[in-house]
Amino acid sequence: MTALNELTTARYADLIRLRAVRMVAPHGFGYLGQALSSAELFATLYAGHYDPGRDSLVVSPGHYIIAAFAAAPEAGLLDEEALATYGFDDSALEAIGTERSPAVDLTGGSLGMGLSGAVGFALADRLQDRAGARVFAVLSDGELEEGQVWEAALFAAHHRLGALTVLLDANDSQVDGPVSSITTVEPIAGKWESFGWAAFDVDGHDPAVLDTALRAAVADPRPAVVIARTSTKHGLSVLPEGADGHFIKLPAALAEAAIRELEARLA
Amino acid sequence: MLKQPYPTVMKPYGRALVNLARERPEILCLSGDLTRQTEVDLFQEQLPERFIHAGMAEANMISMAGALARRGFLPFVHTFGVFATRRPLDQIINSVAYPRLPVRIVGFMPGVSSPGGPSHQAIDDVALMRAIPNMTVIDVADATQIRAALPAIADVPGPVYLRLKRGEIPVIFDEDHEFSLTRAQPLTAGSDLAVIANGMMLPSAISAADALADAGVSVSVVNVPVIKPLDTETIIRTVSGVAAVITVENHSVIGGLGSAVAETIAEAGLGRPQRRVGLRDTFAEGARTAPHLFRKYRLGTQDIVDCAWELLRREGPPPQVPAVPAAEGEYAPV
Repeated sequence: MTALNELTTARYADLIRLRAVRMVAPHGFGYLGQALSSAELFATLYAGHYDPGRDSLVVSPGHYIIAAFAAAPEAGLLDEEALATYGFDDSALEAIGTERSPAVDLTGGSLGMGLSGAVGFALADRLQDRAGARVFAVLSDGELEEGQVWEAALFAAHHRLGALTVLLDANDSQVDGPVSSITTVEPIAGKWESFGWAAFDVDGHDPAVLDTALRAAVADPRPAVVIARTSTKHGLSVLPEGADGHFIKLPAALAEAAIRELEARLA
Repeated sequence: MLKQPYPTVMKPYGRALVNLARERPEILCLSGDLTRQTEVDLFQEQLPERFIHAGMAEANMISMAGALARRGFLPFVHTFGVFATRRPLDQIINSVAYPRLPVRIVGFMPGVSSPGGPSHQAIDDVALMRAIPNMTVIDVADATQIRAALPAIADVPGPVYLRLKRGEIPVIFDEDHEFSLTRAQPLTAGSDLAVIANGMMLPSAISAADALADAGVSVSVVNVPVIKPLDTETIIRTVSGVAAVITVENHSVIGGLGSAVAETIAEAGLGRPQRRVGLRDTFAEGARTAPHLFRKYRLGTQDIVDCAWELLRREGPPPQVPAVPAAEGEYAPV
């Protein structure tokens, strides 16, 4: 395990990718695209903003739990050895996040519920006088199709829950294809702003830009959303052009090539 | 009836829906972001003008389908069973069932056939749908029955919940199989025990009955594809002729087939002991494969045999079910 301060955020993101490839490889398929798109987002959050002893972390789409697991060892939330059990029978590390999932405060496989949970945590922090405690919620753009997300957004702004920060992985990916081909969710920033949120629309694969946006989001007195524009294939050039963003097929040869590419970059 | 291991086919539902829709122009196909997984990619390709991407927004999808039905359309709504029944429960009740509109809600991936964990495992969908007035609830067992059921449900005046296995679908019944919305399907006639099953559990029920028959237990196997309205007449006749009853469902033992049969036995005053094989009031978990979960949560063929042996107070160890080797593309139960 590498200490956080010895890692640059970009290397941390690639370490998340490498671990995610190794977690998916034994199964031949899995939720790798989610880790590839959100790697910088998790790396930036864990490297400079999220304090597990003070803050709460919600991973709303349980399919993203792979990225939280892959990022967790540096934050002291999970032993790196445990990652090898991901997705296997009787493992505590289920492939889709559940009530049993370690390393996060809340996750789940029925999408669109996480922001309401994060709002509940922020409300609890306020009611229990936990000064300085923040709530970070990772959401995906596909989830914006669920009405519950907007119920939570309305509530958070009305109650001025400024301790709440949403990290929205806008990777334009859902099961049936690009989000933009199924439902027009744009303008994403304009929607949140009109609901009373501060919105920061940034390149989700640039750690410096993400870091600046997160700093501004945390400083803003309103609840804030960082919209991270990402791709489910980012950082892994060996993936074929049409690789499915939701559930990538990763046969052994492709997994080996992916591991070689990431190990070379981390060397 | 065919013998195990059963051959399997892909997308029997998707093909049957396209065939039916060609004859019935009022049919619309709605998908909640699981188009290929619910076999309606075929519909999208072949009848795109009647295919509606509702996105990941189940509440809107159901209420919208209700209004489409009010204007004369016959909407078939598709997603996984969990998302079809849990998320939009209030919408199903108020926008569809109470006005008794002909919306067909098709929920794939029943019970622990999904290794995706509790959020993806529909262990309560039958219970939820069965509790709603006006709702017809169907859990078919094989590809032949799926093909036969579709034209049959088209003209049901109210809403229908159709529960379907995802992926490779076994072929159990012969081509000339007739699907009935009103009659359950006795498969064998015995005098000791009734095994009442449906859906994905029928192959296990048949295997268990075979193993029990070899050990001298005379078993009536009944397939109950229509859980509601239940063919109580066949249940009562079957149960009256045996000493004990086992129900088998890929679902919680609360509120599904086992409960429906128990209610029937109690109301008829038959007084036969019953055991319910199913999920014992527990959530399951994520795993690598579904067969692991069928074993862990005691939904396997051997579990039915063990249950029967104990229920009938037979001496000695229960007979062991031989494993049926299934090649790639064949189906045999756990």
